[in-house]
Amino acid sequence: MIHMRNVSKIYGNGTAALDHVSVDIEAGEFVFIVGASGAGKSTFIKMLFREELPTRGQLLVNGRDVVHMKRSEVPYLRRGLGVIFQDYRLLPDKTVFENVAFAMQVIEAPRRLMQRSVNAVLDVVGLRDKYRCFPSQLSGGEQQRVAIARAIVNDPAIVIADEPTGNLDPETSWDIMDIFNRINLAGTTIVMATHDKTIVDTMQRRVIAIEDGRIVRDEERGGYGYEA
Amino acid sequence: MKLRTSEYFIQEVFRSLKRNNWMTFASIGTVTVSLFVLGVFLLLVLNMNRLASTLESQVQINVYLEDGVSEARKESIQQEIEGLAGINDVTYVDRAEAEQRLRERLGDQGYLLDALGDENPLPDSFAVTVEDPAFVETAAGTIGQFDGVEEARYGQDVATHLFDITRLIRIFGLVLMVLLCGATLFIISNTIRLTVFARRKEIAIMKYVGATDWFIRWPFLLEGVVMGFAGGLLSALVLRSFYAAMAAKIYDTLAFFPLLPQYPFMNYVTLAILAAGIFIGALGSTISLKRFLKV
Repeated sequence: MIHMRNVSKIYGNGTAALDHVSVDIEAGEFVFIVGASGAGKSTFIKMLFREELPTRGQLLVNGRDVVHMKRSEVPYLRRGLGVIFQDYRLLPDKTVFENVAFAMQVIEAPRRLMQRSVNAVLDVVGLRDKYRCFPSQLSGGEQQRVAIARAIVNDPAIVIADEPTGNLDPETSWDIMDIFNRINLAGTTIVMATHDKTIVDTMQRRVIAIEDGRIVRDEERGGYGYEA
Repeated sequence: MKLRTSEYFIQEVFRSLKRNNWMTFASIGTVTVSLFVLGVFLLLVLNMNRLASTLESQVQINVYLEDGVSEARKESIQQEIEGLAGINDVTYVDRAEAEQRLRERLGDQGYLLDALGDENPLPDSFAVTVEDPAFVETAAGTIGQFDGVEEARYGQDVATHLFDITRLIRIFGLVLMVLLCGATLFIISNTIRLTVFARRKEIAIMKYVGATDWFIRWPFLLEGVVMGFAGGLLSALVLRSFYAAMAAKIYDTLAFFPLLPQYPFMNYVTLAILAAGIFIGALGSTISLKRFLKV
C-alpha cells in the first residue's frame, strides 16, 4: 500500500523534517504514527497525499509513484485516499448530507450512487438521523464523524488521519476510534498520526515512532512509549 | 463535462455573483462602459470610412471661378475642359443658382443664408463629371491651372482628409480602449479573487477529495464569462438605441450623409460586442486564477 524508501524532506530554510525514512505499510494494516510536535509526523502524513513532496527518495502510495507523478495525476491519487484532519474541515453552509455528498460530486460520481453511498456511510458513523443538520448544530465529535463519512464515501483504499482526536474529549475520542476500527475491519488501511498515549496503548496496533525526522521505533503491537 | 456537473457549476456561479454583489455590479458596469466606448468608436470609424469611400467614388469636380471673369473667358474655359481626356459633361452653375441649391440642401435651416443679406458669397462654377474616378485627380490638377480658375475641388480631396481623421480617431479609440480594458480586467480579476477567497475552504476540500484542477477552475472561469457577457449585452443594447437615435438625428439634419444602415450592420456590431465581453470576462478570471488559485 505504502512504500517509502530513504525519503528525506528538507525545507527551504535547511531543516530536515524527515531524514532517510524507509517504511512499508501493507493493505489492511492499522498504523499509528507517534512523536512529539515537530518530530516530522505531519510531514510524513502530508507526503502520503502529496501535500508535500519528498526532497529525496522513493514513495509509492496505492501503487502510484508519488514523486514522479504529473500534477494532473494527483487528483486520482487522492481519490484512492480518505483524509481526515484535526479541525474537521466541513463546509459550514452545507448540511451533513451535502458535506458528504460533496466528495462524490466533485469527482463526478454517478448521481444514482450518491443517495445510497451517503446514507451508507452516515450509518457507519451513526449520523443517519442528523443528515439535515448543519455543522454548527453538531458537537465536535459529531463533526469529526461527518468528516470521516466524507473521507470514506468514495471507498478509499487508505484512510489518512492527522490527529483526528486532537480536539475531542477522551470519551468522544473512543467513539471515533471505534469507527476507525470498524472501517479497518472492512479492509481499509488506516494511517493515523496522534499524540494520544491512552489510545495508542489501548489499541495495541502497529506503532511507528518518529523523532527528529527519523523512525526510532516500529513495533507490531506497540504502545506509545515512555517519552510522552 | 457531465450535465450534472454543469448544473453544479451554474449554481456555484450564481451563488458567488450574489455573494459579491457589489463587485459583480462594478465588474458588469465597467465591462458595459468599456464596450460602449469601444462600440461608439467602432461606429464612428466605420461610418467615417464609409463616408470617405463614398466621396472617393464620386466622379464630380467642382471648378470654382475667380470673381469677375468675363463671359467670353468662361466659354473658353468650358471648351478647354471639354477638350480634356475622359470628361463626360461640363455644366455651368452661376452663383445665384448655387445659392438656390445650397438653400435647398439646408432645408429648414435655409434661413441661415438670410443672415448674409443680399450678399452671395458663392462663386460661379462648373460641375464637371468624368468617365472614371481614376481621371479625377489629373483632370482636377490640370483644370486648377487654367487662367481664371480659382480652385478645382473633388471628392478624393476631402476623402483623403477624412481618412486622416479616421486614422486619428482609430488611434485615439484604440488607446482609450486599451486603458478601459485594463481597468475592466483589473476589476473582474479582483471580483474573481474575492470569490476564490470566499471559497478557499471549499477549494481545499475539493483538492483533498480528488477534484481535478479544471473541475475547480471552471466555476471561476464561468463567473468571469457571465459578467463579461452581461456587460456586453447591456452595452450592446445601449449602443443599439444610441445608434438608432443618432441615425434619426442625422437623417433629419444631414440627409446627404451616407450613414451605414442599422440592419444588418448593428447585428454584427452586437455580436462583436458580446464576443468582446465574453473574451474580457474569460481573460479577467484567467489572470486571477493564475495568480490566486493554487490548485
